[in-house]
Amino acid sequence: MADKDHSATDDAVLVRAAQQGDMRAFEELVARHRDKIYARAYSMMRNEEEAVDLSQEAWVKGWQRLAQFQGDSSFTTWMTRITINLCLDQLRRKKRHRTESIEEMDEESGGVERQMPIVMVNPTERLERAELRVRIDLALSQLSESHRTVLVLHEFEQMDYKTIAKTMRCSMGTVMSRLFYARRKMAALLRDLQKSG
Amino acid sequence: MKPEVQLKLQAYLDGELSSGEAKAVADLIARDAEARALLAELTHTCSALAGFEAESKLPESGEFYWSKIARDIQRQERRSPERSPASIFALLRRFAVPTSVLVALLLGLLVVKQQLGFDHRFAVLETDTAQVDAGTFTYRDFASGTTLVWLSYPAENEFAETDPAGTINWE
Repeated sequence: MADKDHSATDDAVLVRAAQQGDMRAFEELVARHRDKIYARAYSMMRNEEEAVDLSQEAWVKGWQRLAQFQGDSSFTTWMTRITINLCLDQLRRKKRHRTESIEEMDEESGGVERQMPIVMVNPTERLERAELRVRIDLALSQLSESHRTVLVLHEFEQMDYKTIAKTMRCSMGTVMSRLFYARRKMAALLRDLQKSG
Repeated sequence: MKPEVQLKLQAYLDGELSSGEAKAVADLIARDAEARALLAELTHTCSALAGFEAESKLPESGEFYWSKIARDIQRQERRSPERSPASIFALLRRFAVPTSVLVALLLGLLVVKQQLGFDHRFAVLETDTAQVDAGTFTYRDFASGTTLVWLSYPAENEFAETDPAGTINWE
């Protein structure tokens, strides 16, 4: 089993082999999807070291819970959910150790986003893909953790409001408010980046 | 624009409204320039984000990354090598612990009640009972005149034979 080449094997077959205890099959799954899992952890944590640690923890948990994987979603979706939950736990732990930022307090009390002027032109128009990617990444890094998380879950993970609320353990109203703030802030940041660039 | 309307506009964009609500928001967009402008801004942001997530690459070699995962898996498996005993233990913990806690609470309640509200004369009587048979636990509520005897062995023992009801006549 140890010498078996898994490189051409389907994910589903590898998962079944891993469920039987085949570590080489699991190693192949890690090799295939490690960048995606790391990228999701990084998009939520914005810290390389934490993202590496949490993504590794996600793989360990994935191995331990493989028996629970029924194939209702793809293996990467399942692993991504484990990663997101670990990142959210870590963010909650960190939040308990510091006071809320002024930005978050603003959001709870009605929010500055209500007063922000509407960005009338598309700030990403005529940008090259690579340039756009860099600007979006820069803008995302300037959002607070809770706003970035809700945006990542909605825009990149395609979760609906209800699923986000369940995942983040908050109300749908909070999800909607955070998403609205995050989008408006992103529009303003992208406009500013366009001006400065 | 009211905050609720702003959030409705966003929910409209995200397809989170019922058909009736969506119709109402569509009507608003048709007649309100500010609503149209806000919707356009939200739409631009969404389309900018769609498919443009930065491609983050793992900042270390795949081999090193896997070696840490494999080491962690092995370490955790050494800590709990057998799944079945762990499951039995989990099962025991699930049922035995709550039961023990409940029994302990009941016993604690009895002790507190005895110490706070009972006549010393009766307490002596109860102590005697405990000495007669260590496997029997007796509780008597003097306020309601109720006596409860808890036998820790089957009913066919000698004590039960002398008193089929399993109670003690105190008088």
